[in-house]
Amino acid sequence: MHAIETLGISKRFGDLRALSDVSFTVGEGETFGFLGPNGAGKTTTIRILTGITAPTSGTARIFGHDIVRETVAARRQMGIVHETSNIYTDLSAWRNLMFAAELYRVGRREREKRGAELLEVFDLADRQHDRTRGFSKGMKRRLTLAMGLVNSPRLLFLDEPTSGLDVQSNLIIRDVIRGLNEDGVTVFLTTHNIEEANLTCDRVAIIDHGRIAAIDSPERLKETIQSVQSVEVAFHPGGRVAADDLAALSRVREVRKEGDKFRLITEDPPGVLEEVMAFAPRAGVRVISVNTRGPSLEDVFIRLTGLDVRTKGVTTAD
Amino acid sequence: MEGWFGQVSTELAAAWAIAKKDILIWYLKPGIIVSGMLFPLFMFLAFAVGRPAEPTVLVPGLVAITILFSASSIEPVSIPIERRMNTFDRLLSAPISLHAVVLGESLSGFLYSIGIALVPLAAGLAVFRAGIVGPAFLVAGVVLTAFCFSTMGTLFAAYPTESPGDIMSMLNLVRLPLIFISGVFIPLSQLPSAGQFIALLSPLTYGSDLIRAGFTGEAHFGPAVDVGLLLVFILVFQFAANLLYRRFND
Ligand SMILES: Nc1ncnc2c1ncn2[C@@H]1O[C@H](COP(=O)(O)OP(=O)(O)OP(=O)(O)O)[C@@H](O)[C@H]1O
Ligand SMILES: [Mg+2]
Repeated sequence: MHAIETLGISKRFGDLRALSDVSFTVGEGETFGFLGPNGAGKTTTIRILTGITAPTSGTARIFGHDIVRETVAARRQMGIVHETSNIYTDLSAWRNLMFAAELYRVGRREREKRGAELLEVFDLADRQHDRTRGFSKGMKRRLTLAMGLVNSPRLLFLDEPTSGLDVQSNLIIRDVIRGLNEDGVTVFLTTHNIEEANLTCDRVAIIDHGRIAAIDSPERLKETIQSVQSVEVAFHPGGRVAADDLAALSRVREVRKEGDKFRLITEDPPGVLEEVMAFAPRAGVRVISVNTRGPSLEDVFIRLTGLDVRTKGVTTAD
Repeated sequence: MEGWFGQVSTELAAAWAIAKKDILIWYLKPGIIVSGMLFPLFMFLAFAVGRPAEPTVLVPGLVAITILFSASSIEPVSIPIERRMNTFDRLLSAPISLHAVVLGESLSGFLYSIGIALVPLAAGLAVFRAGIVGPAFLVAGVVLTAFCFSTMGTLFAAYPTESPGDIMSMLNLVRLPLIFISGVFIPLSQLPSAGQFIALLSPLTYGSDLIRAGFTGEAHFGPAVDVGLLLVFILVFQFAANLLYRRFND
Protein backbone atom coordinates (compact mmCIF):
# COMPACT_ATOMS: atom_id res chain seq x y z
CA MET A 1 0.00 0.00 0.00
CA HIS A 2 1.20 3.50 -0.80
CA ALA A 3 1.48 6.13 1.89
CA ILE A 4 0.13 8.69 -0.56
CA GLU A 5 -1.54 8.10 -3.87
CA THR A 6 -3.01 10.93 -5.90
CA LEU A 7 -4.86 10.56 -9.14
CA GLY A 8 -5.47 13.47 -11.46
CA ILE A 9 -5.87 16.14 -8.80
CA SER A 10 -6.93 19.56 -10.03
CA LYS A 11 -7.79 22.61 -8.01
CA ARG A 12 -9.37 25.81 -9.21
CA PHE A 13 -9.78 29.05 -7.31
CA GLY A 14 -12.28 30.89 -9.48
CA ASP A 15 -10.52 31.32 -12.80
CA LEU A 16 -7.14 30.36 -11.41
CA ARG A 17 -5.95 26.82 -11.99
CA ALA A 18 -3.75 26.22 -8.95
CA LEU A 19 -3.23 22.50 -9.72
CA SER A 20 -3.70 20.65 -13.00
CA ASP A 21 -3.91 16.89 -13.16
CA VAL A 22 -1.40 16.12 -10.44
CA SER A 23 -0.71 12.39 -10.05
CA PHE A 24 2.01 10.71 -8.03
CA THR A 25 2.56 8.06 -5.39
CA VAL A 26 4.72 8.06 -2.31
CA GLY A 27 5.81 4.72 -0.90
CA GLU A 28 5.80 3.95 2.79
CA GLY A 29 9.04 5.05 4.44
CA GLU A 30 10.00 7.34 1.62
CA THR A 31 11.09 10.95 1.99
CA PHE A 32 9.41 12.70 -0.88
CA GLY A 33 10.11 16.29 -1.86
CA PHE A 34 7.82 18.68 -3.65
CA LEU A 35 10.08 21.24 -5.20
CA GLY A 36 8.73 24.34 -6.87
CA PRO A 37 8.89 28.12 -7.04
CA ASN A 38 6.49 30.44 -5.17
CA GLY A 39 2.92 29.94 -6.24
CA ALA A 40 3.61 26.57 -7.87
CA GLY A 41 0.88 24.86 -5.87
CA LYS A 42 2.89 23.17 -3.10
CA THR A 43 0.79 24.38 -0.18
CA THR A 44 -2.41 23.77 -2.11
CA THR A 45 -1.31 20.16 -2.63
CA ILE A 46 -0.67 19.72 1.11
CA ARG A 47 -4.02 21.30 1.97
CA ILE A 48 -5.73 18.80 -0.29
CA LEU A 49 -3.76 15.82 0.99
CA THR A 50 -4.56 16.76 4.59
CA GLY A 51 -8.24 17.27 3.82
CA ILE A 52 -8.39 20.97 4.64
CA THR A 53 -9.65 21.74 1.14
CA ALA A 54 -11.28 19.43 -1.36
CA PRO A 55 -9.85 19.02 -4.86
CA THR A 56 -11.96 20.34 -7.72
CA SER A 57 -11.44 16.95 -9.36
CA GLY A 58 -9.33 13.87 -8.83
CA THR A 59 -8.79 11.71 -5.77
CA ALA A 60 -6.15 11.24 -3.12
CA ARG A 61 -5.63 8.31 -0.78
CA ILE A 62 -3.61 8.23 2.42
CA PHE A 63 -2.68 4.65 3.36
CA GLY A 64 -5.65 3.59 1.28
CA HIS A 65 -8.15 6.01 2.86
CA ASP A 66 -9.84 8.43 0.52
CA ILE A 67 -9.09 11.88 1.92
CA VAL A 68 -12.50 13.30 1.02
CA ARG A 69 -14.70 10.40 2.07
CA GLU A 70 -12.63 8.95 4.92
CA THR A 71 -11.04 12.16 6.12
CA VAL A 72 -10.79 11.29 9.79
CA ALA A 73 -9.31 7.83 9.24
CA ALA A 74 -6.75 9.28 6.83
CA ARG A 75 -5.80 12.07 9.22
CA ARG A 76 -5.24 9.76 12.18
CA GLN A 77 -2.03 8.62 10.52
CA MET A 78 -0.64 12.08 9.84
CA GLY A 79 1.35 14.80 11.42
CA ILE A 80 1.15 18.20 9.77
CA VAL A 81 3.62 21.05 9.93
CA HIS A 82 1.96 24.01 8.28
CA GLU A 83 3.78 26.62 6.23
CA THR A 84 3.50 29.28 8.93
CA SER A 85 4.55 28.46 12.46
CA ASN A 86 1.01 28.33 13.78
CA ILE A 87 1.41 28.12 17.50
CA TYR A 88 -0.67 29.74 20.23
CA THR A 89 1.48 32.64 21.34
CA ASP A 90 -0.52 33.11 24.56
CA LEU A 91 0.33 29.58 25.68
CA SER A 92 3.62 28.04 26.76
CA ALA A 93 5.56 25.65 24.56
CA TRP A 94 4.44 22.82 26.80
CA ARG A 95 0.73 23.74 26.61
CA ASN A 96 1.00 24.04 22.84
CA LEU A 97 2.46 20.55 22.62
CA MET A 98 -0.13 19.08 24.95
CA PHE A 99 -2.95 20.70 22.98
CA ALA A 100 -1.63 19.27 19.73
CA ALA A 101 -1.46 15.83 21.35
CA GLU A 102 -4.98 16.10 22.77
CA LEU A 103 -6.39 16.88 19.34
CA TYR A 104 -5.02 13.50 18.25
CA ARG A 105 -6.15 11.85 21.44
CA VAL A 106 -2.73 10.84 22.62
CA GLY A 107 -3.17 9.52 26.16
CA ARG A 108 -1.91 11.60 29.08
CA ARG A 109 1.08 9.49 30.05
CA GLU A 110 2.11 9.00 26.42
CA ARG A 111 1.80 12.69 25.52
CA GLU A 112 3.75 13.85 28.54
CA LYS A 113 6.57 11.43 27.79
CA ARG A 114 6.58 12.25 24.10
CA GLY A 115 6.33 15.99 24.79
CA ALA A 116 9.34 15.94 27.09
CA GLU A 117 11.37 13.98 24.53
CA LEU A 118 10.47 16.34 21.69
CA LEU A 119 11.35 19.43 23.72
CA GLU A 120 14.80 17.91 24.24
CA VAL A 121 15.22 17.00 20.58
CA PHE A 122 14.23 20.47 19.44
CA ASP A 123 16.32 22.19 22.09
CA LEU A 124 13.36 23.93 23.73
CA ALA A 125 13.33 22.18 27.11
CA ASP A 126 14.70 25.11 29.09
CA ARG A 127 12.06 27.46 27.69
CA GLN A 128 9.12 25.06 27.83
CA HIS A 129 7.11 27.02 30.40
CA ASP A 130 7.59 30.43 28.81
CA ARG A 131 4.82 31.95 26.75
CA THR A 132 5.79 31.42 23.15
CA ARG A 133 5.09 35.03 22.24
CA GLY A 134 8.73 35.88 22.91
CA PHE A 135 10.16 32.96 20.95
CA SER A 136 12.45 33.59 17.99
CA LYS A 137 11.41 32.52 14.52
CA GLY A 138 13.59 29.41 14.70
CA MET A 139 12.20 28.42 18.11
CA LYS A 140 8.65 28.83 16.86
CA ARG A 141 9.46 26.70 13.83
CA ARG A 142 11.01 23.98 15.96
CA LEU A 143 8.01 23.98 18.27
CA THR A 144 5.71 23.69 15.24
CA LEU A 145 7.69 20.65 14.16
CA ALA A 146 7.51 19.14 17.62
CA MET A 147 3.73 19.65 17.55
CA GLY A 148 3.56 17.84 14.21
CA LEU A 149 5.38 14.86 15.69
CA VAL A 150 3.68 14.61 19.07
CA ASN A 151 1.16 12.03 17.82
CA SER A 152 3.97 9.82 16.42
CA PRO A 153 2.58 9.97 12.88
CA ARG A 154 3.23 7.37 10.20
CA LEU A 155 3.20 10.14 7.61
CA LEU A 156 4.51 13.62 8.19
CA PHE A 157 3.66 16.61 6.00
CA LEU A 158 6.18 19.42 6.15
CA ASP A 159 5.41 22.63 4.31
CA GLU A 160 8.72 24.44 3.89
CA PRO A 161 10.15 23.23 7.19
CA THR A 162 13.39 25.17 7.09
CA SER A 163 12.54 28.26 5.09
CA GLY A 164 14.23 31.32 6.55
CA LEU A 165 15.96 29.60 9.47
CA ASP A 166 19.49 29.85 10.75
CA VAL A 167 22.04 27.07 10.46
CA GLN A 168 21.45 25.65 13.93
CA SER A 169 17.66 25.31 13.55
CA ASN A 170 18.20 23.98 10.06
CA LEU A 171 20.58 21.30 11.21
CA ILE A 172 18.26 20.15 14.01
CA ILE A 173 15.35 19.89 11.59
CA ARG A 174 17.35 18.03 8.95
CA ASP A 175 18.62 15.65 11.59
CA VAL A 176 15.08 14.95 12.72
CA ILE A 177 13.94 14.27 9.15
CA ARG A 178 16.82 11.86 8.68
CA GLY A 179 15.93 10.11 11.93
CA LEU A 180 12.29 9.79 10.87
CA ASN A 181 13.42 8.27 7.62
CA GLU A 182 15.44 5.67 9.53
CA ASP A 183 12.41 4.89 11.67
CA GLY A 184 10.35 4.20 8.57
CA VAL A 185 8.18 7.31 8.81
CA THR A 186 7.03 8.63 5.46
CA VAL A 187 7.85 12.31 4.95
CA PHE A 188 6.26 14.58 2.38
CA LEU A 189 8.03 17.90 2.32
CA THR A 190 7.71 20.95 0.15
CA THR A 191 10.54 23.32 -0.43
CA HIS A 192 11.88 25.82 -2.87
CA ASN A 193 15.34 25.08 -1.56
CA ILE A 194 16.97 22.80 -4.09
CA GLU A 195 19.87 21.86 -1.87
CA GLU A 196 17.46 20.78 0.86
CA ALA A 197 15.60 18.53 -1.58
CA ASN A 198 18.89 17.14 -2.82
CA LEU A 199 20.13 16.39 0.70
CA THR A 200 17.00 14.98 2.31
CA CYS A 201 14.76 13.42 -0.32
CA ASP A 202 14.67 9.94 -1.80
CA ARG A 203 12.59 11.26 -4.64
CA VAL A 204 11.66 14.71 -5.80
CA ALA A 205 8.73 15.99 -7.81
CA ILE A 206 9.35 19.26 -9.56
CA ILE A 207 6.15 21.26 -9.72
CA ASP A 208 5.57 24.46 -11.62
CA HIS A 209 2.39 26.36 -12.34
CA GLY A 210 0.36 23.56 -10.82
CA ARG A 211 1.81 20.85 -13.02
CA ILE A 212 4.34 18.17 -12.23
CA ALA A 213 7.28 18.59 -14.56
CA ALA A 214 9.31 15.58 -13.41
CA ILE A 215 9.49 13.00 -10.64
CA ASP A 216 12.62 11.03 -9.85
CA SER A 217 15.52 10.67 -7.45
CA PRO A 218 17.77 13.73 -7.32
CA GLU A 219 20.65 11.86 -8.98
CA ARG A 220 18.50 10.53 -11.80
CA LEU A 221 17.08 13.98 -12.39
CA LYS A 222 20.59 15.30 -12.75
CA GLU A 223 21.43 12.53 -15.22
CA THR A 224 18.63 13.63 -17.49
CA ILE A 225 20.55 16.79 -18.22
CA GLN A 226 24.04 15.37 -18.09
CA SER A 227 24.95 17.58 -21.05
CA VAL A 228 24.94 20.59 -18.76
CA GLN A 229 28.43 21.18 -17.45
CA SER A 230 29.76 24.35 -16.04
CA VAL A 231 32.84 26.25 -15.04
CA GLU A 232 32.71 28.27 -11.89
CA VAL A 233 35.04 31.20 -11.77
CA ALA A 234 35.76 33.92 -9.22
CA PHE A 235 37.64 37.12 -9.92
CA HIS A 236 39.65 39.20 -7.53
CA PRO A 237 37.30 41.32 -5.49
CA GLY A 238 36.97 44.80 -6.87
CA GLY A 239 37.59 43.56 -10.40
CA ARG A 240 34.61 44.84 -12.35
CA VAL A 241 33.36 42.04 -14.52
CA ALA A 242 30.06 42.22 -16.35
CA ALA A 243 28.18 39.00 -16.97
CA ASP A 244 27.56 40.31 -20.46
CA ASP A 245 31.26 40.21 -21.24
CA LEU A 246 31.50 36.61 -20.09
CA ALA A 247 28.39 35.72 -22.03
CA ALA A 248 30.08 37.05 -25.13
CA LEU A 249 32.74 34.34 -24.94
CA SER A 250 32.07 31.96 -27.79
CA ARG A 251 31.95 28.68 -25.87
CA VAL A 252 29.81 30.00 -23.01
CA ARG A 253 26.17 29.15 -23.44
CA GLU A 254 24.81 30.80 -20.34
CA VAL A 255 26.07 32.90 -17.44
CA ARG A 256 24.77 32.86 -13.91
CA LYS A 257 26.08 35.04 -11.16
CA GLU A 258 26.19 33.05 -7.94
CA GLY A 259 27.33 35.12 -5.01
CA ASP A 260 30.87 36.32 -5.68
CA LYS A 261 31.29 33.75 -8.47
CA PHE A 262 30.11 33.33 -12.01
CA ARG A 263 28.84 30.06 -13.32
CA LEU A 264 29.48 29.58 -17.03
CA ILE A 265 27.32 26.86 -18.54
CA THR A 266 28.92 25.06 -21.44
CA GLU A 267 29.28 21.77 -23.27
CA ASP A 268 33.05 22.32 -23.39
CA PRO A 269 34.57 23.14 -19.99
CA PRO A 270 38.25 23.03 -21.12
CA GLY A 271 37.47 25.39 -23.99
CA VAL A 272 35.78 27.85 -21.65
CA LEU A 273 38.72 27.60 -19.28
CA GLU A 274 41.04 28.75 -22.04
CA GLU A 275 38.71 31.56 -23.01
CA VAL A 276 38.41 32.80 -19.43
CA MET A 277 42.16 32.80 -18.88
CA ALA A 278 42.56 34.83 -22.05
CA PHE A 279 39.70 37.15 -21.10
CA ALA A 280 41.03 38.04 -17.65
CA PRO A 281 44.14 40.06 -18.67
CA ARG A 282 42.17 41.79 -21.42
CA ALA A 283 39.58 42.92 -18.89
CA GLY A 284 42.26 43.80 -16.36
CA VAL A 285 41.06 41.37 -13.68
CA ARG A 286 42.62 38.43 -11.88
CA VAL A 287 41.11 34.99 -11.64
CA ILE A 288 41.28 33.73 -8.05
CA SER A 289 39.53 30.38 -8.36
CA VAL A 290 38.20 28.03 -10.99
CA ASN A 291 36.11 24.87 -10.62
CA THR A 292 34.33 22.65 -13.08
CA ARG A 293 31.00 21.23 -12.04
CA GLY A 294 28.50 18.66 -13.25
CA PRO A 295 24.79 19.44 -13.44
CA SER A 296 23.10 20.33 -10.18
CA LEU A 297 19.52 19.76 -9.20
CA GLU A 298 19.15 23.48 -9.72
CA ASP A 299 20.02 23.04 -13.38
CA VAL A 300 17.31 20.44 -13.70
CA PHE A 301 14.94 22.74 -11.94
CA ILE A 302 15.75 25.70 -14.13
CA ARG A 303 15.53 23.60 -17.24
CA LEU A 304 12.17 22.13 -16.29
CA THR A 305 10.51 25.21 -14.92
CA GLY A 306 11.79 27.38 -17.74
CA LEU A 307 13.08 29.90 -15.26
CA ASP A 308 14.90 31.96 -17.85
CA VAL A 309 15.49 35.08 -15.84
CA ARG A 310 19.08 34.28 -15.09
CA THR A 311 20.19 33.09 -18.47
CA LYS A 312 22.53 34.67 -20.98
CA GLY A 313 22.49 38.41 -21.05
CA VAL A 314 21.77 39.17 -17.42
CA THR A 315 24.21 41.67 -16.03
CA THR A 316 25.48 41.89 -12.52
CA ALA A 317 24.60 44.63 -10.12
CA ASP A 318 28.16 45.39 -9.06
CA MET B 1 -20.32 -0.77 18.28
CA GLU B 2 -16.89 -0.03 19.66
CA GLY B 3 -15.78 1.94 16.56
CA TRP B 4 -18.73 4.27 16.66
CA PHE B 5 -18.46 4.83 20.39
CA GLY B 6 -14.72 5.31 20.10
CA GLN B 7 -15.12 8.00 17.48
CA VAL B 8 -17.77 9.88 19.48
CA SER B 9 -15.64 9.89 22.61
CA THR B 10 -12.62 11.00 20.57
CA GLU B 11 -14.67 13.86 19.15
CA LEU B 12 -15.83 14.91 22.60
CA ALA B 13 -12.31 14.71 23.99
CA ALA B 14 -11.01 16.87 21.14
CA ALA B 15 -13.88 19.35 21.58
CA TRP B 16 -12.97 19.62 25.24
CA ALA B 17 -9.30 20.14 24.35
CA ILE B 18 -10.32 22.99 22.04
CA ALA B 19 -12.50 24.52 24.75
CA LYS B 20 -9.73 24.24 27.35
CA LYS B 21 -7.31 25.99 25.03
CA ASP B 22 -9.77 28.88 24.57
CA ILE B 23 -10.39 29.06 28.30
CA LEU B 24 -6.65 29.38 28.97
CA ILE B 25 -6.22 32.01 26.30
CA TRP B 26 -9.38 34.10 26.45
CA TYR B 27 -11.02 34.12 29.86
CA LEU B 28 -8.73 36.72 31.30
CA LYS B 29 -8.54 39.02 28.28
CA PRO B 30 -9.89 42.47 29.20
CA GLY B 31 -11.81 42.90 25.93
CA ILE B 32 -13.76 39.72 26.53
CA ILE B 33 -14.65 40.73 30.07
CA VAL B 34 -15.85 44.13 28.91
CA SER B 35 -18.08 42.77 26.17
CA GLY B 36 -19.30 39.83 28.21
CA MET B 37 -20.05 41.58 31.48
CA LEU B 38 -20.22 45.34 31.15
CA PHE B 39 -22.14 45.45 27.89
CA PRO B 40 -25.18 43.60 29.25
CA LEU B 41 -25.04 45.72 32.40
CA PHE B 42 -25.27 48.93 30.37
CA MET B 43 -28.05 47.46 28.29
CA PHE B 44 -29.87 46.67 31.47
CA LEU B 45 -29.38 50.15 32.86
CA ALA B 46 -30.53 51.69 29.59
CA PHE B 47 -33.67 49.63 29.19
CA ALA B 48 -34.82 48.58 32.57
CA VAL B 49 -33.94 51.14 35.18
CA GLY B 50 -36.45 53.85 35.88
CA ARG B 51 -39.34 51.73 34.78
CA PRO B 52 -41.82 50.46 37.29
CA ALA B 53 -41.03 46.82 36.71
CA GLU B 54 -41.34 43.79 38.92
CA PRO B 55 -38.20 42.00 40.09
CA THR B 56 -39.65 38.87 38.47
CA VAL B 57 -39.33 40.67 35.12
CA LEU B 58 -36.13 42.60 35.74
CA VAL B 59 -33.96 39.85 37.18
CA PRO B 60 -34.71 37.16 34.59
CA GLY B 61 -34.40 39.82 31.88
CA LEU B 62 -30.97 40.84 33.09
CA VAL B 63 -29.87 37.22 33.36
CA ALA B 64 -31.12 36.52 29.83
CA ILE B 65 -29.34 39.43 28.14
CA THR B 66 -26.19 38.78 30.13
CA ILE B 67 -26.19 35.27 28.70
CA LEU B 68 -27.00 36.56 25.22
CA PHE B 69 -23.94 38.82 25.21
CA SER B 70 -21.44 36.79 27.20
CA ALA B 71 -22.10 33.48 25.45
CA SER B 72 -21.33 35.00 22.07
CA SER B 73 -18.38 37.11 23.18
CA ILE B 74 -15.51 34.65 22.75
CA GLU B 75 -15.68 32.79 19.44
CA PRO B 76 -16.40 35.90 17.33
CA VAL B 77 -13.07 37.23 18.60
CA SER B 78 -11.04 34.05 18.96
CA ILE B 79 -11.86 32.45 15.60
CA PRO B 80 -10.87 35.37 13.33
CA ILE B 81 -7.66 35.68 15.32
CA GLU B 82 -7.00 31.97 14.97
CA ARG B 83 -7.48 32.47 11.24
CA ARG B 84 -4.99 35.31 11.24
CA MET B 85 -2.42 33.27 13.19
CA ASN B 86 -3.16 30.20 11.04
CA THR B 87 -3.79 28.15 14.17
CA PHE B 88 -7.30 27.56 12.86
CA ASP B 89 -5.76 25.24 10.25
CA ARG B 90 -4.73 22.98 13.13
CA LEU B 91 -8.35 22.52 14.12
CA LEU B 92 -9.42 22.10 10.50
CA SER B 93 -6.81 19.40 9.88
CA ALA B 94 -7.25 17.43 13.11
CA PRO B 95 -8.65 13.89 12.93
CA ILE B 96 -12.10 15.02 14.06
CA SER B 97 -15.25 16.20 12.32
CA LEU B 98 -16.21 19.85 11.89
CA HIS B 99 -18.98 19.22 14.39
CA ALA B 100 -16.37 18.64 17.08
CA VAL B 101 -14.58 21.85 16.10
CA VAL B 102 -17.83 23.84 16.24
CA LEU B 103 -18.80 22.24 19.55
CA GLY B 104 -15.37 22.82 21.07
CA GLU B 105 -15.39 26.45 20.06
CA SER B 106 -18.90 26.93 21.44
CA LEU B 107 -18.08 25.26 24.75
CA SER B 108 -15.73 27.99 25.93
CA GLY B 109 -18.38 30.69 25.38
CA PHE B 110 -21.00 28.48 26.98
CA LEU B 111 -19.05 27.92 30.20
CA TYR B 112 -17.99 31.54 30.30
CA SER B 113 -21.55 32.82 30.14
CA ILE B 114 -22.77 30.40 32.80
CA GLY B 115 -20.12 31.81 35.11
CA ILE B 116 -20.94 35.39 34.19
CA ALA B 117 -24.70 34.79 34.55
CA LEU B 118 -24.20 33.94 38.21
CA VAL B 119 -23.36 37.60 38.86
CA PRO B 120 -26.75 39.14 37.90
CA LEU B 121 -28.43 36.11 39.39
CA ALA B 122 -26.79 36.65 42.76
CA ALA B 123 -27.36 40.39 42.54
CA GLY B 124 -31.02 39.79 41.66
CA LEU B 125 -31.55 37.52 44.60
CA ALA B 126 -29.78 39.85 47.02
CA VAL B 127 -30.84 43.29 45.80
CA PHE B 128 -34.27 42.71 44.33
CA ARG B 129 -35.18 39.88 46.64
CA ALA B 130 -36.48 37.84 43.77
CA GLY B 131 -37.24 34.32 44.85
CA ILE B 132 -36.60 31.18 42.85
CA VAL B 133 -39.70 29.08 42.62
CA GLY B 134 -38.79 26.81 39.71
CA PRO B 135 -35.09 25.89 40.04
CA ALA B 136 -35.29 23.26 37.29
CA PHE B 137 -36.74 25.83 34.86
CA LEU B 138 -34.03 28.30 35.81
CA VAL B 139 -31.19 25.82 35.33
CA ALA B 140 -32.59 24.53 32.04
CA GLY B 141 -33.19 28.10 30.86
CA VAL B 142 -29.68 29.29 31.73
CA VAL B 143 -27.93 26.24 30.28
CA LEU B 144 -29.90 26.03 27.02
CA THR B 145 -29.84 29.79 26.40
CA ALA B 146 -26.10 29.88 27.00
CA PHE B 147 -25.51 26.95 24.68
CA CYS B 148 -27.79 28.37 22.04
CA PHE B 149 -26.04 31.75 21.89
CA SER B 150 -22.53 30.39 22.12
CA THR B 151 -23.32 28.20 19.10
CA MET B 152 -24.77 31.27 17.40
CA GLY B 153 -21.46 33.05 18.07
CA THR B 154 -19.55 30.19 16.46
CA LEU B 155 -21.95 30.30 13.53
CA PHE B 156 -21.32 34.01 12.93
CA ALA B 157 -17.58 33.46 13.26
CA ALA B 158 -17.75 31.16 10.23
CA TYR B 159 -17.70 34.29 8.08
CA PRO B 160 -14.19 34.08 6.61
CA THR B 161 -12.57 37.19 7.99
CA GLU B 162 -9.45 37.72 10.04
CA SER B 163 -10.91 40.73 11.82
CA PRO B 164 -13.07 40.26 14.94
CA GLY B 165 -14.72 43.65 14.31
CA ASP B 166 -16.37 42.35 11.14
CA ILE B 167 -18.06 39.57 13.02
CA MET B 168 -18.91 41.64 16.08
CA SER B 169 -20.73 44.22 13.99
CA MET B 170 -22.74 41.54 12.17
CA LEU B 171 -23.50 39.91 15.47
CA ASN B 172 -24.66 43.13 17.09
CA LEU B 173 -26.98 43.68 14.17
CA VAL B 174 -28.75 40.59 15.45
CA ARG B 175 -28.15 40.71 19.19
CA LEU B 176 -29.41 44.24 19.82
CA PRO B 177 -32.79 43.81 18.07
CA LEU B 178 -33.21 40.49 19.88
CA ILE B 179 -33.48 42.37 23.17
CA PHE B 180 -36.51 44.28 21.86
CA ILE B 181 -38.34 41.55 20.05
CA SER B 182 -38.01 38.77 22.61
CA GLY B 183 -40.17 40.06 25.42
CA VAL B 184 -37.21 40.38 27.73
CA PHE B 185 -38.31 43.42 29.69
CA ILE B 186 -41.80 43.70 28.31
CA PRO B 187 -43.85 40.56 28.88
CA LEU B 188 -44.94 38.91 25.66
CA SER B 189 -48.59 39.21 26.57
CA GLN B 190 -48.22 43.00 26.55
CA LEU B 191 -46.67 43.14 23.06
CA PRO B 192 -48.83 44.05 20.04
CA SER B 193 -49.80 41.04 17.96
CA ALA B 194 -47.25 41.76 15.21
CA GLY B 195 -44.59 41.92 17.93
CA GLN B 196 -45.81 38.67 19.40
CA PHE B 197 -45.46 37.04 16.01
CA ILE B 198 -41.91 38.34 15.45
CA ALA B 199 -41.00 37.21 18.95
CA LEU B 200 -41.70 33.64 17.92
CA LEU B 201 -38.66 33.76 15.62
CA SER B 202 -36.21 34.67 18.37
CA PRO B 203 -34.50 32.03 20.49
CA LEU B 204 -34.15 34.62 23.23
CA THR B 205 -37.94 34.60 23.55
CA TYR B 206 -37.93 30.99 24.70
CA GLY B 207 -34.76 31.39 26.74
CA SER B 208 -36.02 34.35 28.71
CA ASP B 209 -39.45 32.76 29.05
CA LEU B 210 -37.88 29.68 30.60
CA ILE B 211 -35.60 31.70 32.86
CA ARG B 212 -38.54 33.80 34.00
CA ALA B 213 -40.42 30.61 34.78
CA GLY B 214 -37.67 29.97 37.29
CA PHE B 215 -38.86 33.03 39.20
CA THR B 216 -42.61 32.89 38.55
CA GLY B 217 -43.21 29.19 38.11
CA GLU B 218 -45.06 29.88 34.88
CA ALA B 219 -43.94 30.01 31.26
CA HIS B 220 -45.87 31.84 28.55
CA PHE B 221 -45.35 28.99 26.08
CA GLY B 222 -44.95 26.19 28.59
CA PRO B 223 -41.56 24.87 29.66
CA ALA B 224 -41.64 21.91 27.28
CA VAL B 225 -42.16 24.19 24.30
CA ASP B 226 -39.35 26.49 25.45
CA VAL B 227 -36.93 23.61 25.95
CA GLY B 228 -37.91 21.99 22.67
CA LEU B 229 -37.52 25.14 20.63
CA LEU B 230 -34.21 26.07 22.24
CA LEU B 231 -32.93 22.61 21.31
CA VAL B 232 -34.15 23.13 17.75
CA PHE B 233 -32.32 26.46 17.55
CA ILE B 234 -29.14 24.86 18.92
CA LEU B 235 -29.29 22.11 16.30
CA VAL B 236 -30.02 24.56 13.50
CA PHE B 237 -27.07 26.76 14.52
CA GLN B 238 -24.79 23.74 14.92
CA PHE B 239 -25.59 22.36 11.48
CA ALA B 240 -25.56 25.76 9.80
CA ALA B 241 -22.14 26.43 11.33
CA ASN B 242 -20.90 23.05 10.14
CA LEU B 243 -22.10 23.86 6.64
CA LEU B 244 -20.62 27.35 6.55
CA TYR B 245 -17.21 26.29 7.86
CA ARG B 246 -17.10 23.70 5.13
CA ARG B 247 -18.25 26.16 2.49
CA PHE B 248 -15.87 28.97 3.41
CA ASN B 249 -12.97 26.67 3.87
CA ASP B 250 -11.24 26.88 0.52
N1 LIG C 1 -7.48 30.28 -0.99
C1 LIG C 1 -7.03 30.67 -2.19
N2 LIG C 1 -7.77 31.46 -2.97
C2 LIG C 1 -7.33 31.86 -4.17
N3 LIG C 1 -6.16 31.51 -4.70
C3 LIG C 1 -5.36 30.72 -3.98
C4 LIG C 1 -5.75 30.26 -2.68
N4 LIG C 1 -4.75 29.47 -2.20
C5 LIG C 1 -3.80 29.46 -3.15
N5 LIG C 1 -4.15 30.20 -4.21
C6 LIG C 1 -3.36 30.37 -5.44
O1 LIG C 1 -2.94 29.11 -5.89
C7 LIG C 1 -1.62 29.16 -6.39
C8 LIG C 1 -0.77 28.16 -5.66
O2 LIG C 1 -0.59 28.60 -4.33
P1 LIG C 1 0.23 27.78 -3.26
O3 LIG C 1 0.07 28.50 -1.97
O4 LIG C 1 -0.18 26.37 -3.31
O5 LIG C 1 1.71 27.93 -3.77
P2 LIG C 1 3.06 27.44 -3.10
O6 LIG C 1 3.73 26.55 -4.08
O7 LIG C 1 2.82 26.90 -1.76
O8 LIG C 1 3.88 28.80 -3.00
P3 LIG C 1 4.89 29.35 -1.87
O9 LIG C 1 6.23 28.79 -2.19
O10 LIG C 1 4.84 30.83 -2.08
O11 LIG C 1 4.36 28.92 -0.55
C9 LIG C 1 -1.17 30.60 -6.24
O12 LIG C 1 -1.34 31.25 -7.47
C10 LIG C 1 -2.09 31.15 -5.19
O13 LIG C 1 -2.28 32.52 -5.39
MG1 LIG D 1 3.40 27.41 0.08
